[in-house]
Amino acid sequence: MRSANLLKYGFVVPAIVLLIAMNIFPLIYTIVLSFTDATLTSSENAWVGVRNYGRVFSGGDYGTALRTTGVFVVLAVGIELLLGFAMAMAMKSDFRGKTPIMTILLVPMMLSPAVMGLYWTIILNGHYGVLNQMLAFVGMSDPPQWLTEHKLASILLIDVWMWTPFMMLIALAGLNSIPRYIYEAAEIDRASRWRVFSRITLPMCAPLLVLAVLLRTTDALKQFDLVMALTGPNDVATQTLSACLFQRMIREQELGLGAAYALVVLVMVIALATVFTRYIGWIQKKQGRTNP
Amino acid sequence: MKCLRWTGIVLYLCIGALPLAWLVLTSIKHHPDVISPTAKFVPAPGHEQGDRTVLFSPTLEGYGRLASAGRRESHSFFHYLVNSVIIGVLSTLCAVTLGTMCAYGFSRFRVAGAQDWLFFILSTRFLPPLAVVVPILLMYRTFGLQNSHVGLVLLYTSFNLSLAVWLMKGFIDDIPKAYEEAALVDGYSRWQAFYRIIVPEAATGIAVTAVFCLISALNEYGFAVTLNSQGATTVPVYFAALQGSIKGIPWPQLAAGTLLFVTPIVVFTVLVRKHLLRGVTFGTIKQ
Repeated sequence: MRSANLLKYGFVVPAIVLLIAMNIFPLIYTIVLSFTDATLTSSENAWVGVRNYGRVFSGGDYGTALRTTGVFVVLAVGIELLLGFAMAMAMKSDFRGKTPIMTILLVPMMLSPAVMGLYWTIILNGHYGVLNQMLAFVGMSDPPQWLTEHKLASILLIDVWMWTPFMMLIALAGLNSIPRYIYEAAEIDRASRWRVFSRITLPMCAPLLVLAVLLRTTDALKQFDLVMALTGPNDVATQTLSACLFQRMIREQELGLGAAYALVVLVMVIALATVFTRYIGWIQKKQGRTNP
Repeated sequence: MKCLRWTGIVLYLCIGALPLAWLVLTSIKHHPDVISPTAKFVPAPGHEQGDRTVLFSPTLEGYGRLASAGRRESHSFFHYLVNSVIIGVLSTLCAVTLGTMCAYGFSRFRVAGAQDWLFFILSTRFLPPLAVVVPILLMYRTFGLQNSHVGLVLLYTSFNLSLAVWLMKGFIDDIPKAYEEAALVDGYSRWQAFYRIIVPEAATGIAVTAVFCLISALNEYGFAVTLNSQGATTVPVYFAALQGSIKGIPWPQLAAGTLLFVTPIVVFTVLVRKHLLRGVTFGTIKQ
């Protein structure tokens, strides 16, 4: 009996120990650092109390970074959701060539954002970029200068290109899970198209759409790779929270201040992650009930 | 309605696939053709360089130059590619091994507080890398792991572990318990039952999990850029560092390198496309 007990922990414990060592321990260390004046090069750190937190909330760049991140998350996730759902509606029924089309659409989200961020500068460039040449071709007289004047829009554009298929994939799973007989019943009742959509399709799809939105939101909040590859970490127009953090902590080497920044960001992410994990638990239970 | 639907699909497909097609075209151009103000998209062998038509003469120069080091760097692209592959493959092996064991433990034994542990494992995935990177940096400095392959392998293993555990738990839950019970009756030990019965039965799941771990390890950027200024620089870090020196970037070479880096990932994506949904939702949706 005792050996069986040891055995089961033999399976589970190594993974958990590694996660605690690489996540919980550093997290506690970050909390400690946030109350000191540590820099990357100093060896003796002094306690400074909550001064770092005072600097976080009084400095203007935190507010700006928060707003940039907020705008980015809302617009990116919003556009991806609408576009992804519309595409899922269009791709719902089977047609010839569906599999290869789906495969091509799904490729962008598996690519490295840092690599794509750099590559897209060829497309977005104001002089030779193919995007503006296409816009000029369809008659736009003064196409936007993406890389110099609309930097956040550029990042949004790349993010939407990469992640709309993700929304489509999940929305499609939601649409396909709606049983046919419900639509047949609605047809017998002569329900209008709009009524079918708003009373059947949308509500029955909703749980999975919420899952997709939560997944994307936690990711978009951490947006860093595209910013780094497209503008660097210290551009006011695109400085997200993560980029701001990187600038303070690694470039300016102010560990204490950076740690305080990190914790403020962390509180928000943890709140979201808690909602998210609960939701996953709920969906799994529900799925377990419907298909035993 | 049908017409609208098809317009939507075709339009999206064109816009979505265009950047990918453009990548391929850029990689077979001469440098002046890439930065030509007239988009050049028709390959015509023997065509003159740098005029104002849509024709360009294809070349493999971009690929050839990948092997040589750039003007200001001491390494060629392949140096970074090898770093990426070593770190990606090793961390994937570790994450899948630990993850499968852990998932098996949670799937077949009654562990105290199992649900809480599982959600703890899941929540580590949502931690922003930059929130923990400084202590890890200091820790690595003490142990001499900064700028080393081992350091990143360790980090990526723990980063991918949550995904591995959650995906593998789903796959192992699907294997009937009777299989191993029969083996146990036949005198197998638990370990033997695990690697002789469960591992082969879960082979598909392990492959799918491995592909997802590999993709996210290859694409990871946040940790790699903060912990590695030299020594074990990966491809994403190398590429992102080129930003800012826009004038001096050898675009065809860069496109060729990107393509070489991206092609295996695309192949992997195609291989696991049936399980893609399961992978991107941490096994929540089984299809």
